This record gives sequence, structure tokens and C-alpha cells, in this order.
Amino acid sequence: MKPVAFAWERPDSLAALLARLAEAPGNVKLIAGGQSLGPMLNLRLVEPDLILDITGVPELRAVRVESDTLVLGACVTHADIEDGRVRDLTRGALRRVAAAIAYRPVRNRGTVGGSLVHADPAADWVSALTALGAEVEIAGPDGCRTLPVERFVTGPLTVALGRAEILVAVRVPALPAGAAWGYVKHCAKIGEFAHAIGAVRLEPGQGRGRAVIGAVEGPPVLLADARPLFGGRIGADFADRFDPAAADAALRAAGMTDAVERHVHVTVLARAVAQAAKPVPLNLPEAA
Amino acid sequence: MSAALAEFGTGRMALPLTVNGRSLRVEAEPRSHLGDVLREGLNLTGTHLGCEHGVCGACTVLLDGEPARACLTFAGACAGAAVTTIEGLDADEIAGELRAAFNREHALQCGYCTPGMLVAARDLVLRLPDADERRIRVALSGNLCRCTGYAGIVRAVMAVIADRRGRGILPETGAARALGPVGARIGETIVAPVRRLTSPVASVAPAAVSDLAAAFEPAHRFTQALDLAHPPEAVFTLLGDIEAVAACLPGAVLTARPAPDAVEGGLQVRIGPIAATFRGRARIERDEAARSGSVHGAGSDAGGRSATEGQIRYRVESGPTPGTARVELDVGYTLTGPLAQFGRPGLVRDLAGRIAADLVRNLDARLSGAAVPAPAGLNPLHLLLSLIRARLAAWLGRS
Repeated sequence: MKPVAFAWERPDSLAALLARLAEAPGNVKLIAGGQSLGPMLNLRLVEPDLILDITGVPELRAVRVESDTLVLGACVTHADIEDGRVRDLTRGALRRVAAAIAYRPVRNRGTVGGSLVHADPAADWVSALTALGAEVEIAGPDGCRTLPVERFVTGPLTVALGRAEILVAVRVPALPAGAAWGYVKHCAKIGEFAHAIGAVRLEPGQGRGRAVIGAVEGPPVLLADARPLFGGRIGADFADRFDPAAADAALRAAGMTDAVERHVHVTVLARAVAQAAKPVPLNLPEAA
Repeated sequence: MSAALAEFGTGRMALPLTVNGRSLRVEAEPRSHLGDVLREGLNLTGTHLGCEHGVCGACTVLLDGEPARACLTFAGACAGAAVTTIEGLDADEIAGELRAAFNREHALQCGYCTPGMLVAARDLVLRLPDADERRIRVALSGNLCRCTGYAGIVRAVMAVIADRRGRGILPETGAARALGPVGARIGETIVAPVRRLTSPVASVAPAAVSDLAAAFEPAHRFTQALDLAHPPEAVFTLLGDIEAVAACLPGAVLTARPAPDAVEGGLQVRIGPIAATFRGRARIERDEAARSGSVHGAGSDAGGRSATEGQIRYRVESGPTPGTARVELDVGYTLTGPLAQFGRPGLVRDLAGRIAADLVRNLDARLSGAAVPAPAGLNPLHLLLSLIRARLAAWLGRS
């Protein structure tokens, strides 16, 4: 299995990368860890003229904390998060998601930025970072801009990136004390793309929360105000108040017509709610 | 930008690697994956290639000491990296213990998965705190074995972990290493220009299409309704004009009309970075009395690697208010080849939905007498809707 012949360049700075991206003719693809793009290249579903390898750019492989926000460079890998090489302001939420992505050899090269830009609806970060309220930093010829993840992922394999723009970092807000987090995915085989994802980030003390139903046909279904799922109020008893019919109605409204599919997604979301109410101990390495 | 590693004009690069402790330079194209570089360039055939898209785990090697998929690590991505293959683990203490345990527990039969399995197992021996069977099974799910049922493999890995922990050897946390993909160096600049062996052919002759069998059982099926603010009669008449419908269908091109009920053409579909063009033909049927019809098509992409067959049945009914129409679509398709290997039906439905939205907008414009935006391709191709859906399916297709 051989990809189409392409040129390969590896800029050593963000400025050089952006300049090359803006000027390069033909079909140009960026590559980080290559764990999503690689299969598409090998299968010749994608046939670029030039590949720009972004892993040589130092700032894309760095992490910083700005007040209560963790800023992950685009080339930080799932294994970096799983192993605790980056600070986790989400009290284990990021680590747990990272540790269950695909398989360890994939996590050693696959990156958080690459996963988001690939925007497979069934990928973990697309749903998890939407639920966590994360944002992406985008750099381009006209400077930098920031977008919430839910506005960045616009469709299957489709994101709001201009031709000469790149995702440089992901901004993950801290999970405050008292906040509850649940993330559950359903896979028929361990490590494969999920068939259903449920994620909740709830703040019972403040009476607010977000819920995400992912691995649907398009971008994840986000309830930025999750109160309707809990009879209109999010309190300490949220697990008892979870209303599957409200989740089912949200999926209907999002266009999911298949009753079995809705049932699977609602069930997985209910499990995420239950997990948020009764977190299981972080048990790493737990994943495939 | 430096071109130190490139040999201009050849499309190849002199790839510096440390392989099993030996520093060397191996000539490779940037598109070659590490598995091919090792096997073809260095004759290290212990690294096995199975699926070559990251699923089977047979090609797992150590990259800077950590397990990685050789098939998903391109030569251009690992310049300067340290690679350890199964051949380089002869003197490794853990690998030696695993080999003895695999032997004792009958942890292999044909041996094809074994090199990757040993590399993955060695990583577990290093990292897992104890010999937890479930965790080992979960972790080994990234390495497919079709002989053993994993029973012996899991016993072997459990035995080695239990033995080492019993000897007081603690697990490693992997805390100390640079951030970013293993094997990828910071700051190095590589330029490997491409050598085009052949110029890509824009137009490929239509793929041979076998006669469309009357009985078609699609692998996937979905329904969709299009609402148009025009009378059902006008909509049904327009749907009978295949050139007009094709003109309204984004990416569709009509190239020939060999018979009144047959069309030939192509359909281009784009999902994210994937673009595919299917060429083939379709047969059209219409039932004036029932205001229904069908389009049954088949085609393949350039090179014939992915193929699709699809059928769209439509029925034009009265809409919710007088003077409006609702078109009920019943779409069935089968997709084979790389696209099918990659995609998922849900993605196809989403794509179909977006194409349908464009189609409705264009049909509406046409019925209103407005100009339809010029299609990107050639001419109107008609109800290659089916083909479109199929392509969509392909992109989105199922693995």
C-alpha cells in the first residue's frame, strides 16, 4: 500500500510554516502525528502534492497554564496527557479520555490538535473538548483568532479553518472544585471509533452544566445549557433527575430518526451522568 | 530552508536513522512508511506488514524507545529517530523473558503477529503495575492475532509481569520524555521535493460497468424527504429532465445518453480532505401515473479501486400546503474498496443531507426560473444522486 508521491517539508518555526502554507501551490496537507491522515494517505483517499510536517515547530509541542486555563500545543500527544507529562487542570478528565483513545502505539504519535482538525465525529477529543468548553487557537496570515470547539468543528471531517490557517493550540478551562464530569463511549471493539459518546460537565453548585452527545452523523450534539435534561434544574441530585426522554427529544430535534440509534446514544449519555455522580477512580494505564 | 537531506530531482531523501543501535542513512521517498524502509531498504523483515492502516498492529516497532505503528510513520516524519525492531531485541532482557513465556504458553501459531505482539507486550511489562488480565487484554486489542484466541499470549504476558514485580522491579511511568509525537525531532528542516512519475490524468475513461442487475440488495439504506415550494406536477416533470437534474446536482457531470433510459457520467464528492470521482452509468425508470421513479447506477473511481452501486427511488407527493411538493427519497447503496474500508454510514448520511440541501436549492431556483449556479464539473449528470450518495457513502463509508 503506497501513498501517492508527495513532497515533504518540515518548517522549523511557526512563521516559516505559515509563510509556506500561504504560498505553496497545489494540494497541501498538514501532518502532525499522522495517525488519522496516515491511513487516508495509504489508502490514497487523500492525494496531496505537498505535506507540511508541523512537528518541528517548538511552540506547537509546548504546554502552558494561563490562570485557570491549560493551553495545549497542537502537537501534544494523547500519551503525553495520559502519562501526566502535561498538567491536568481537569482533575483527571483529560487523562481518562486520552488513555482510552485507540491503542498505545497510536497514542504515542497521535496529537490532540490533529484529532480536532481531522474532525471525525466519532473521535474522542471532538466530543470531550466540546463538553469541557475548550477553545482552539488558530493562526493565519491575518494573525490569531480563537473559536470554541463547537464552532470549530462544522461537519464530518470539516472544520472552520481557512486555506492558510492552522490550529496552534487548544485551550482547556479548569474543572472547578464541585464540578462533576462524566465521559462514556461505546465501542463494539476496544480502541475502534466510538458508536456513541456521552459527556457531561455539570456544576451543581451553580445550577448549570453542559452535555454532549457525540459519535453522531455530524458535529456532536451540544446542550450548552443541560438543564432540560434534568427536569429544568441541575442540583446535587442531578443523577436522579436525569430524564432520558429529554435527551431523546434533543436527538430527535437534531435529526436522528433511527429509534435504536437514539436509544444507544441516550443510554450512553445516562451512563456518563451516572459516572459524573459517582466518579470511578482514575486507573491508569487502563486503556488499549 | 535547508535542503541538506534532499537529493533534488530524485524525489528521494537520505534518511538518517539509528536502527537497532547502528547509525545509518537510508535512501527513501518521503512517502515510504517506516515499515517499507526497514523491510525493503534495510532487509529487516522481522517487522511484518498487515493492514497498513494502523489497525492490526503487526508492524509495531519501538520509535525512540516507545511503541509506534511503522505503517503510519512516514520516512519524512522520523528523520533522526532511533528505531528498534524485533531484530534489535535479541539481547533485551524483557524480550528474552517474553520469548521464553510465549514459548512455554504456546502464545503463537503462524507467527505473523508475533513481532508486533512482542513489542506491545514489552511495553505492557514496563508500564502495567500488576498482572491484571483485563488490562492486558484491553491493551493487546491493538494487536490482532487470528490463531491463538489470545489465551496463551495473555498468560505469557501475565507471567512475565508477575515474575518481575515479584522480583521487586517497579513499573515505569513514562514521565520523562519530550512532548510531541515519538520519533519526531524539533526544529529540523527537511525538504524532499517530489518527482512526479506520471502526470495525474484528469479524465479517466469511464470504468467498465457490468450490466446493472435488476435485483439489487444494497448494503446500506436510508430515506430522505425534500420539500419544494412548487406544485408536485412541475417537480415531477423537472425530475424527468435528466440534464436539468444533473445540472442541479453539485459535482455531477453527464457525459453521454446512450439510450433514453440510460445515462453515463461522473460524480465528484468531497468530504473534508477526501475527494473522489466516480464514473459509471445509470438506468432511469419513471412511472408517470404514480409520480415516482428510480435511478439505478454503478460506477468506480479512477483506477477502479473503489466501486459503488446505488439505487434511488423517488416519489413526488403533495406538500404540507397547497402548491408545494414533497419528494420522498429511498436511497440504497453498496460500496467496496478503500472508501468502504475507511468510511462509516453515518458520515454518508450527513453528506447526503448536505448534497440534498444543495440539490433542493438548485431545483427550487430552476423551478422559479432563476439561473442555476454553474456546476463545477462539465455537464448535467442526472440522478447520479445514487452515485453521489454512494460516493458520499464511500467517503463516509464503513470500515
